[in-house]
Amino acid sequence: MSVLADLLASHIVRTVLAGAALLGAIAGMLGAFAVLRRQSLLGDALAHAALPGVCLGFLIAGGRDLGSILAGAFLAGALAALAMMLITSRTRLKTDAALGIVLSVFFAAGVVLLTVAQARGGAGSLGLATFLFGQAAAILRSDLWIMGGIGLAALALVLAFWKEFKLVSFDPDYARALGLPVALLEATLTVMVAMAIVVGLQLVGVVLMVALLIAPAAAARQWTASLGGMVVLSAAIGAASGAAGALVSASTRGLATGPLVVLIATAAVLVSLMVAPGRGLLWQALAARRARARIGEGRVLAAMQGLARAHGDTGYATEGGMLATALGGAPTPARLAALERRGLIRAVVHPPETTPHWELTAAGHAEAAALADPAGRAERSP
Amino acid sequence: MDDHSLHEPGHALHVEDLTVSYGGGPVLWDIDLDIPPGVMCAIVGPNGAGKSTLIKAALGLVRPVAGHVRFFGRPVTRMRGRIGYVPQRHSVDWDFPASARDVVEMGLYRSLGWFRRPGAAARARALAALAEVGMQDYADRQIAQLSGGQQQRVFIARALVQDAPILILDEPMAGVDAATEEVIVALLKRLRDAGRTVIVVHHDLTTVRSYFDWLVMLNVRIVAQGPVARVYTPENLRATYGRQLAMIAAAPDDALP
Repeated sequence: MSVLADLLASHIVRTVLAGAALLGAIAGMLGAFAVLRRQSLLGDALAHAALPGVCLGFLIAGGRDLGSILAGAFLAGALAALAMMLITSRTRLKTDAALGIVLSVFFAAGVVLLTVAQARGGAGSLGLATFLFGQAAAILRSDLWIMGGIGLAALALVLAFWKEFKLVSFDPDYARALGLPVALLEATLTVMVAMAIVVGLQLVGVVLMVALLIAPAAAARQWTASLGGMVVLSAAIGAASGAAGALVSASTRGLATGPLVVLIATAAVLVSLMVAPGRGLLWQALAARRARARIGEGRVLAAMQGLARAHGDTGYATEGGMLATALGGAPTPARLAALERRGLIRAVVHPPETTPHWELTAAGHAEAAALADPAGRAERSP
Repeated sequence: MDDHSLHEPGHALHVEDLTVSYGGGPVLWDIDLDIPPGVMCAIVGPNGAGKSTLIKAALGLVRPVAGHVRFFGRPVTRMRGRIGYVPQRHSVDWDFPASARDVVEMGLYRSLGWFRRPGAAARARALAALAEVGMQDYADRQIAQLSGGQQQRVFIARALVQDAPILILDEPMAGVDAATEEVIVALLKRLRDAGRTVIVVHHDLTTVRSYFDWLVMLNVRIVAQGPVARVYTPENLRATYGRQLAMIAAAPDDALP
């Protein structure tokens, strides 16, 4: 605990922590919409496309002026979005190809401009390369105000146009038929995502920024089935990943914050994909296993009832070996034990034989009959 | 609004000279179409005939290169919210985090106006619409957990809740089971009997005569339109479907009275 207190005593750590958490929350909230609208990769293209804007902003301002750098990044992103729109609407290329082309061309232009800017030298030009992977320590108190302002604006928009954003994300054609200004609403969502990317460039960098949009949303979707729940949870996971990444980075020398934040957010996705109730892989595997066990148990019951009927004796004691033969393999002791636990069969002795024998209980007979007639079972159950 | 602004107000749907092209040849060519109020109308035609495009163009979702569309004499922009639209079920991602009631409430989003969230009244209307399609017990069910037929009914409830005089449905019977189809058809007939105009893109010729009273046969251009009894003829079917007719001609519907 004292380690944490020591960390938080540092002004820089507090700033980075607040910045990373804020960015995570903004990206998480907007990322939920981007993922639901299947625009995750647009975010990636916008992030990569921001690099030439960053460099141009630097070259024009003649120094590392955050305002002009962010403005440049935003304009370059907008240009990239426009280019993608034109390619998909005017040519026969599909969206994925258009995304790939725009992403790589803009990024290549950015890297060229980066070397130009660095060749020109000047104080701080070396710091430009940090926009590739982000440098959290470079965050200033004043940057937090910018991020906070953008975050609040995004939150206000999402709250104000909640039902419109929901409908446009789910069914844009229907929204258009209702007469909502779909193009404007979609553009607003995309611009907000671009803003989130721009504020994240310093911290996470153009290459990894998209993970912060996708990962919290993908993780959140696993746990909730309402849009409100998903957006809130996504923002929370983003904020927690940001904060955790900042703390881990601060407590260990030489670990970059941005990539750590991305790794932690991705870990949250992994955990969510595995264990989330209902949708998680482990959950589904368990459900499948349970279903298999039920079927296996049902076969044991049916075989025993068949033997009991053949003998005209409801209390007929079935020998384990007979069951194994009837079912083409020994019913595992675990399965028989499970049936016994459920009160459907009980172990009996059948002298003079010494091998284990089993008989159906009354409940077992009822269950076997119900399994044989699933339609009747459905009618009986409410 | 004065009546001078209306053009052909006597028709629920009036389409004139409508031509749509996606850059290549025409998808719809010189469509002239009139559907009177209070009918249940099927739009049929082979794959690629432009059935969905026709209703999308009518709704203003696709921009035509020529022609105009009027609903009760008004352009679609002045009928917004008063046309219930049921898109093809596969046009959306059903894994979207929403319940059946959430989706139905979307039909009220426009009438609610900006900045207002659906409240108790909207909830009650959504539940009533779900009850109309026999889905009241599934109001809080995740849409991903509904069967295809149930999803289709939720989509129809979303259009019903708009309380619109015109309903336009794009293949509502595609991929649903017989029981659901029965429910949907009974519901649409009820709406028609209550004076609504119901326009359905339909793919199953065998049921055209038992379900519908008005028919539009389409294959890029209009082949025939009018009351089913007059329009559903072998010549028109051949003109619409061409070679595919061999299969269709064997359809048992001809045996109906």
